[in-house]
Amino acid sequence: MDVDYHQTYKVGQKIGGDVFLQSKESPTNRVVCTLSDGLGSGVKANVLANLTAHMAHKLSFSPMHLTKSAKIIMNTLPVCNERKISYSTFTIADIRSSREGAIAVQLVEYDNPPALHFSGDTPTPVTANQINLHREGAFKEEVIRQSTFAMKEGDRLVMFTDGVTQSGMGKGFPLGWRQAGVTAYISGVIRENPDISSRELSAAITRKAYALDGMAANDDITCAVVYIRKPRKTLVVTGPPFTQDRDEQLAAKMRAFEGKKIVSGGTTAQIVSRLFDTKVKVDLSCWSPDVPPASKMEGMDLVTEGMLTLAKVAVALERKLPIHTMPNDAVRRFVSILLDSDQVSFIVGTKINEAHQDPSIPVEIGIRRTIVGRIRQALEQNFLKETVLEYI
Amino acid sequence: MEQKRISVKICVGTACFVQGGADLLLYEDFLDPELLGLCDIEGTSCLGGCKTDDPKWKAPLVEIAGVLYPNVTKQRLAELLREAVDA
Ligand code: FES
Repeated sequence: MDVDYHQTYKVGQKIGGDVFLQSKESPTNRVVCTLSDGLGSGVKANVLANLTAHMAHKLSFSPMHLTKSAKIIMNTLPVCNERKISYSTFTIADIRSSREGAIAVQLVEYDNPPALHFSGDTPTPVTANQINLHREGAFKEEVIRQSTFAMKEGDRLVMFTDGVTQSGMGKGFPLGWRQAGVTAYISGVIRENPDISSRELSAAITRKAYALDGMAANDDITCAVVYIRKPRKTLVVTGPPFTQDRDEQLAAKMRAFEGKKIVSGGTTAQIVSRLFDTKVKVDLSCWSPDVPPASKMEGMDLVTEGMLTLAKVAVALERKLPIHTMPNDAVRRFVSILLDSDQVSFIVGTKINEAHQDPSIPVEIGIRRTIVGRIRQALEQNFLKETVLEYI
Repeated sequence: MEQKRISVKICVGTACFVQGGADLLLYEDFLDPELLGLCDIEGTSCLGGCKTDDPKWKAPLVEIAGVLYPNVTKQRLAELLREAVDA
């Protein structure tokens, strides 16, 4: 499952009034996504949306009945001084995968544009129950939409705030882009690029909405995508095997692996090049002052230097640095590949490097383990990826 | 007589890169274009210097026409290439 989102703030705002949260319960493989849009924009809206998203998130994990959860959220929100109302929208998608691979979605929506379900590039109608909350003290009728449906491989769930559907309003579109326009656009994008990742699709949608707004967003624009895809796998090999007689084992594992392959570390690259009888060629078009150049090797998707590159990758993932802000170096390519994967396997060699003269890597092996541990943790916690680690 | 081309390999291993090798990779900015035109410059993985205890092999390393040179600065690289071309 590939989950990601993209966001553009209302023009002039440095903080978003839209908040997207995602989390995963490891043993059960349950994923919960919450998208909330707070009243107004800027800090106040951000606080409202954050509160809502966090509450919705916590409550949805508990077996408490839905309407009750929704009422609790609305009763808790602070009331706006000027307008005397407390208000923020939400969409909660609770996604559970059974061991047999069936995926059940429970969708709860309040005042956000309805989420879209696509099978491939075809929009699939979602039938929703309307539940009127009849909450005491409500300033308007409060209707929650609730729906349950199944998703299968190749399906997507696209959630967005009204900054998307209302984009372009008054600028060529009297009523904005609207639900139908957004649906048609997404279909078109998927048709052209059937495997498009959630990161790219959500970015394409927000970019389009931003363009319709004449490059100055009328409202916060946020879009989140859940994509059920055949797991994309990546193998990261770093460090020479403990003893040389394990090199062949490493080669066998690499050969058997179906997916992208990254080799990190100069010595490691040399071993792999010997095992696969291919040449390593340094690519001087791809480096930055902090990150040594990447190399090219047939059969490998990326070959990088070891320690410096891995450390930078860990930091980028921990801080969730946006890829487009990174320099064009090995770290950027490394992170791009990792984020476009669902499962990342690490094979860490445990041979101690005989780098005497190198002040930057005193106890290299320990550092390698720690850095790989940090990368795994960031991938799991910040990006909901599955990771596997093996020492050789 | 046709000038033969000089093969230059700049070490981009971790040890060399952090100890000045990164600067050398900006060769297009500091080398005389005429000199550049006569050299085939590429990056190479660790040339082995950092794996010896011999202080002589101080990073960064550059291999010019098959000969290894330690402790190469930008200025030194320019000199070495000039010598190699003139030889
Ligand atoms: S890194 Fe340059 S000689 Fe080892």
